Amino acid sequence: MPYLPFLLQGALVTASISLVAIALGIPLGLALAIVRWQRIPLLSQLVALYVSVVRATPAITLALLIFFGSPSIGIVLDATTAAILTLLINTSAFNCEIWRAALIDFPRDQLEAARAYGMSPGLAFRRVILPQVWRTSLPALVNEMTLLVKASPALAVIGIVDLTRAASRIGAATYRPLPPFLAATVIYMLMVMLLVVAQRHVERMVRERYGTG
Amino acid sequence: MKPSSFRFRMQVRSWKTLALVAAMLAIPALGPAQAQSLQEKIKNHQPVVVVTEDDYRPFEYIENGKPVGLDNELFQLMKADAKFDLRQEIIPWTGLLAGVSSGKYDAAVTGSLINQERMKAFDFAMPVAANMHKYLKRKNDNSIKSIKDLSGKTVGVQSGSVLFARLPELQKMIEKTGGKMGKIVQYASYPEAYQDLANGRVDYVVNVEIGLLSVMEERPGVFEIGQPVVESPSYVGWPVKKGNKEMLDYLNDFLRKVKANGKLEELQKKWLKTSFKNLPEHVEPNF
Amino acid sequence: MIRDFAVALAHYDAYLNGLWNTLWLSAATLVLASLAGAAVAALMLARNKAMRLAAAAFVDAMRCVPFLLFAYLVYYGLPALSLQLDSWACGLIALVIYHTAYMAEIVRGAWTNLSREQIEAGRAYGFAGFPLFRRIILPQLFFASVPVIGNQSIYILKDSAFLMIITVPELTFAASSVQSTYFVPFASFVIAMLLYWLVTLGIEAAVKRVELAAEVRRG
Repeated sequence: MPYLPFLLQGALVTASISLVAIALGIPLGLALAIVRWQRIPLLSQLVALYVSVVRATPAITLALLIFFGSPSIGIVLDATTAAILTLLINTSAFNCEIWRAALIDFPRDQLEAARAYGMSPGLAFRRVILPQVWRTSLPALVNEMTLLVKASPALAVIGIVDLTRAASRIGAATYRPLPPFLAATVIYMLMVMLLVVAQRHVERMVRERYGTG
Repeated sequence: MKPSSFRFRMQVRSWKTLALVAAMLAIPALGPAQAQSLQEKIKNHQPVVVVTEDDYRPFEYIENGKPVGLDNELFQLMKADAKFDLRQEIIPWTGLLAGVSSGKYDAAVTGSLINQERMKAFDFAMPVAANMHKYLKRKNDNSIKSIKDLSGKTVGVQSGSVLFARLPELQKMIEKTGGKMGKIVQYASYPEAYQDLANGRVDYVVNVEIGLLSVMEERPGVFEIGQPVVESPSYVGWPVKKGNKEMLDYLNDFLRKVKANGKLEELQKKWLKTSFKNLPEHVEPNF
Repeated sequence: MIRDFAVALAHYDAYLNGLWNTLWLSAATLVLASLAGAAVAALMLARNKAMRLAAAAFVDAMRCVPFLLFAYLVYYGLPALSLQLDSWACGLIALVIYHTAYMAEIVRGAWTNLSREQIEAGRAYGFAGFPLFRRIILPQLFFASVPVIGNQSIYILKDSAFLMIITVPELTFAASSVQSTYFVPFASFVIAMLLYWLVTLGIEAAVKRVELAAEVRRG
């Protein structure tokens, strides 16, 4: 396969953009979830609106809107920034709901106990809530990571030469599109399976270290 | 308990509506980037950005990671000549013209065609080529020999292009022979259209003759060029946002220069296989 | 910007056409994938080990593949099998096969979570065979899986947008077409986004209705 290096370059682009979006999306999702959990007036409703709309928007529509639509409102983005922003906005909305579900389920009595001990909200959050809540959220967060990687081919329409666009280019140049697309599919599957295996690993580690409580 | 919780619900509902209305009212306030004039940009050391399509042979395309083609080579000449920061961005056709009209790019150095609809939003530099639209068919497809045979056949064409916009002319031609226009499939770029032509998903592809000659050279023996599907040629010109006289003058000065020193003709022969000696400086298409 | 929205909305027929295609594709996929998914779920719970493994492999494979890639494989793969189908058919086939896997998981999950007590009680009361299925098992399956199926139908709706890349004229394709002809990208895609949102709100409202009915049933 003479075009394998080109495909692997695309895979690298997919992986790096995905990793940046994942890394930024988890804390961003948490921040959004806290806003809603704390019921901060006006911001809370805006976040609810944002989450509702973004979760309903296909990744490809969002990518087209962000890259091709942004100049009309005075924002100038290059393709890579637009790509990361697309995946980030998308994943932050889903992550917000994941974190929020864990925060809502968090036992009240622990919160009250923390307050009784005079812990400031920030301290209580850092030492009591977060360590437990991330364990609860972890499986869903890793699942969302696999969904992000599976949505990343949407970036091909804004000109990012990711794995999908690389395969498409090869097919258009050789008029034999199946081999590069099959190869690209295998590479995507490997990426997703890697995340799934990592998830099972982390779940087991969490279970062993912290028990199922 | 009931009344106060009801009040809270009312508050929440109105908060949400308020947020929604606020968001919607903000939209009209947003507008395109204030298009700075060329002089202002040069004075403030801001880059002047032109945009080019990423896959449109032979005008502009990427080979081994490097941009090549007529427009890319002309841009290189422009850049070498420019006394200011001149940059190029390469993106898919989908956002190209919108990017120029919104001010994100100062000009498009691309194989775009000129028509009346576009002239409402853009001013075009002097044309660099003129071409008839023709159709491309599979070489081994003996069912298509003339315009009449295109009746009922599926055509592939690029979305948002003048090739698509001028299809009604072909429709008239087909109907005159007693036939009907077949299905129209729109592609984001031509390579995908040619691919689908080769695998039989569409029966013919409409593009400017230059583009068709290019794919014939790329893939010998697969396709064949047919008759013209329009009555008059289209002109290829570089668009700037309507009213951007400074950028337009800059492009025209450059084109006059490469015309005078023969470089334009040399590049036209190299990429388009033909030189265009008598192109007008300004065109008024009737389509 | 208002002018841009006016220009885009002047071509409302393009958006409505695209929306109709999107809804049609999504609804057809939901129905077909549910039926096929139930069949695959049955295979996953079959006695025959080979059938179980094959079904499980299919489901696992589909869940690791990005939908767009699968759509490409169907689009370019069918001609290789001498099946010359247009982009519509390819798009629908890709959506159905892909989401059959997810539906199979959902049905399998609902099936294994069926309340044994209710079924045993039903048998004790003399229900058997088809009446058992229709009055006891099916309602449980239905009410348990409706929220998840509602969720999945939103995924189907969003996946349908990928089909614009293989030239299926659905909503995002329509929005892209309008914006590239009239140079109104922000307005055009915002309109598309709002339409997707409205449909999603509709699906969520419908799911809530069913959940309320389930509440009432449970008493």
